[in-house]
Amino acid sequence: MTFRDLRLRVRALIAPRRVERELDEELAFHLEREAHEQQRAGLTPSAAAARARARFGSIALAADACRDARGTVFVDALVRDVRDALRSFRRAPWVTLTIVATIALGLALVTVAFTVYNALFLRADAVQHPEQLFTVERLVRPDLPHPPGGDRAWMPFSRREYELLRHGSDVLTDALGMVSDVVARIDGRVTNTTLVSGNFFQVLDARAELGRPLIPADDEPATSQQVVVLSHRGWRKFFNGAPTVVGRSVRLNGLPFEVVGVMPETFRGLSVVPPDLWVPLLSVRRFHLPTYLDEYEGKPLDDSVVEVVVGRLKPGMSPEKAEAALTAWASGRSDIKRNRPGHPNQLTLTPNRGTLWPLSFHGVIAPAFFAFGLVLMTGCANVANLLLARGLSHRAEIGIRLSLGASRWRVIRQLLVGHLVLALAAAICGVVLSRGLLAGAIRVASTVMSPESAELMRIAPLPVDWRVLLFVAAIAMVSTVLFGLAPALQTTQVDPARAMRGDAMQGARSGRASQILIALQVGAAGLLLITSGAFLRSAFAAANAPAGVRTSDTLVVPVTHEPFRPAILGALTTDPLVEAVSASWSSGVTGFPAYGGQAVITRPASSATQDRSARDQTTDKVSYAFVSPGYFNVLGIDIVSGRGFAPDERTMDAGVAVVSEAAVRRLWPTGKAVGSVVQFEAQPPPDTQQAASPRAPSRPYVVIGVARDIESTLADALRQFADPNVYLPIGLQNPGTSLVLRVRSDPDEARRALLDRLVAIDPAFGDITTVRAMVNGRAVGLWMVFGVTVVLAGLALLLAASGLFSVLSYAIEQRKREIGIRMALGATTRDIAGWVMSRTFISVAVGIVAGAGLATAFVKVLAKWVPFWLGNIATIVEPVAYAAPVILIVVTCTVAVSLPAWRATRVDPVTTLRQD
Amino acid sequence: MTTSNAPDLLPGTLDLLILRTLQSDAMHGWSIAERIQQVSQNVLQVNQGSLYPALHRLEHQGWVDAEWHTSELGRRAKYYRLTPSGRRRLAVAAGEWDRMAAAIGRVMKLA
Repeated sequence: MTFRDLRLRVRALIAPRRVERELDEELAFHLEREAHEQQRAGLTPSAAAARARARFGSIALAADACRDARGTVFVDALVRDVRDALRSFRRAPWVTLTIVATIALGLALVTVAFTVYNALFLRADAVQHPEQLFTVERLVRPDLPHPPGGDRAWMPFSRREYELLRHGSDVLTDALGMVSDVVARIDGRVTNTTLVSGNFFQVLDARAELGRPLIPADDEPATSQQVVVLSHRGWRKFFNGAPTVVGRSVRLNGLPFEVVGVMPETFRGLSVVPPDLWVPLLSVRRFHLPTYLDEYEGKPLDDSVVEVVVGRLKPGMSPEKAEAALTAWASGRSDIKRNRPGHPNQLTLTPNRGTLWPLSFHGVIAPAFFAFGLVLMTGCANVANLLLARGLSHRAEIGIRLSLGASRWRVIRQLLVGHLVLALAAAICGVVLSRGLLAGAIRVASTVMSPESAELMRIAPLPVDWRVLLFVAAIAMVSTVLFGLAPALQTTQVDPARAMRGDAMQGARSGRASQILIALQVGAAGLLLITSGAFLRSAFAAANAPAGVRTSDTLVVPVTHEPFRPAILGALTTDPLVEAVSASWSSGVTGFPAYGGQAVITRPASSATQDRSARDQTTDKVSYAFVSPGYFNVLGIDIVSGRGFAPDERTMDAGVAVVSEAAVRRLWPTGKAVGSVVQFEAQPPPDTQQAASPRAPSRPYVVIGVARDIESTLADALRQFADPNVYLPIGLQNPGTSLVLRVRSDPDEARRALLDRLVAIDPAFGDITTVRAMVNGRAVGLWMVFGVTVVLAGLALLLAASGLFSVLSYAIEQRKREIGIRMALGATTRDIAGWVMSRTFISVAVGIVAGAGLATAFVKVLAKWVPFWLGNIATIVEPVAYAAPVILIVVTCTVAVSLPAWRATRVDPVTTLRQD
Repeated sequence: MTTSNAPDLLPGTLDLLILRTLQSDAMHGWSIAERIQQVSQNVLQVNQGSLYPALHRLEHQGWVDAEWHTSELGRRAKYYRLTPSGRRRLAVAAGEWDRMAAAIGRVMKLA
């Protein structure tokens, strides 16, 4: 296509009338010139004109051939089709509105799902060349497969190692370091902070919206001023978006920091949701990092932890090559700690584009797409039914067009163009609607969550970008095919001769098509309803699951900074809200699995079997936790035999222990544990991973009591209270313990009140958690999922019902004559009603069976895929779970069917028979 | 409709004839047809229904350019003119035609 060609085509598109006029003028001139010539040869003017026209042939044909040469025929036809479509919409505004609204609703739902997906998995805006960014990790077990996004334990680098990695290796142009999700208090309010190396913003090549980002000088020990950069969110949240914030001094964890910049809204660093603020890693020692408690306290900066190192690969370097080079480099150095002594030091590179790994969340996002898509499909089926019905009334018109020589393909194209126009209108409404739905969903979610989650709740910005728009446009087109193709094919399948006679009787196939559509809709509604039932039961199960510990009035208070412990204890023990204070030091606090060791258990001589050897001993692995004497009472853990710790048994030196029932079952086959002696073997010094975990000195502990098992089905949520085999005594003053309180009022109120007191004592104080929130966190997720599915299922059911109603109404309108004849032949009202109902019975039954079958499979798959944090999905096949949705569907469908059926019985045979 | 004893044009030759006719002067459609008829001594009669589509096609291909001028009748007419690329095209096509005509001529003589 040459430039001239393009210019002419564009001109023909932009000014079609002018081009047409010119064509007419050109041809007219030809005729006139020819006539002139003929006149000169002696003909009369009128004879000359006739002669000229005769010589020329068909002018219209020539003009058409010229238009063909223009190459805009397709577009011309399209424009005509669109104009036709608009005209037909104006003729039937309600039908048009119904179609657009139905499709828009479905599109909006799918768009919501995609917007979330886009924000979490696809976007990494305002970061330059994210494909070059790789997380450098020192895995604990590099020899095991380590899928991206999967669970992996790694040994974080120290600041010294990070600096070596940054400058020493020749595969990275630079590397940034960060510690994310640090809870810090800004003027007393809790924030989510990310600590970053000074080159963070340089490596990502991001610019500030106000002021400046952090620079390397901010992260050097010699710096005079501690600085902080706010994210757009943090700026809005803590400073109401004040433009004068740059240069302002704030107290972060009680220490003065200067705000030097605000990042733009699109910048979210390398996390899915932006933190509230970024602070130089230099300040790491001012923040509470429970996981690395021992890593940095009292140690020089060089030993402080850099949790995540992200390097930018040199351009053209393949990740595999880079990984090999890094591993070789690290193995050759003695100042980089090895993952396993005696092995080469293996470093792993994982792409880090600042988005989630689709695999890690597909368990949530794929079913969501599926469920939202189902509603869109149901809507499409509805519209298809509507169009099928309308198509029947258009048959005469289409028959005329076909007999005038339009090809079937041309008519189908015209119909599809009309549908596409509808779909695009629906897409625009859908995008607008999806914004409203998202805003509403976020509002609902934030009111449902516990206050501590809501305080920290950060929702990724969910913008509409080109990807979302492209997606909506694509889905709109797909749905056009879904709802428009079958009706278009069906409608154009007419015999022109019959159609023009007005004999547009409904063919058998149209009936079948709409019955299949009805079955589809009922099936989708059934699938969603039964699935939502499964979520409902799961949520109930999670909400009512025995927590095993007291949840109604208990709180967990971490001691963020040990120097403040006496003051905090003083405040808590004197506070009128607090009924009792206890302490626990369990591995659960730091998130590591229960800690334990080999122990020798010496059982007392059994009185019943005196003849046996006096004492019997076993050695086994035993887990333990440390608790203060009041712990059992505060959490309501009963002592089932023997006694708990006495108030003065506050150290391990007391030499006493309480064991759990589970431990008794495992280690004391006779069931008599009290009086036995447990002695732990001496253990090797702790490695870095478990440094923060407590350990038991090797000495004999006499078992004084047996505590009830914490039979919790919420093991993940309540890891902190996970059953150890053995409880050992500890005091409230013991460093490293966190405090467990029982309060006299509502725990949320108490939490707020105590938080105010404790932040006044320690400005860098962490956060208080109610045990109730720990337990409810699980159920909340399931409740929300249930809420979403039940709304979707309701929509699907409503669509199915309205589809049934309209299809049946139309079918009866079409068959009035047949009904009339039947009645004239003696059919009763009941016969007619039964006949009408039976027409839908099979589709509904097929739909229900298919929906139930799919739901069973779907829930099974979900249970396997859904990530643990969402909780357990109930998969047990309960009759009620199926009966209730099925009854609901049957009742709804019966209601939808009964009105048309009633109308059918009102058909007057005399009137209908007289019509022809 | 037109003279039935005129030989049909070989496919593609109409374009060549138009380009050749426009070689020296800009012309409107009617005079192009007229000129071809004259020069061929009434052997070649251009089907006027296919003349204009051919002109429009050539215009889209960029081989001719069109402008509106006042005609000999005092009325606006669309004049076509050869573009430089049209001139090149004519040279190529004329060469091909010569080769083809000579080849056919040889076959006709020998057979």
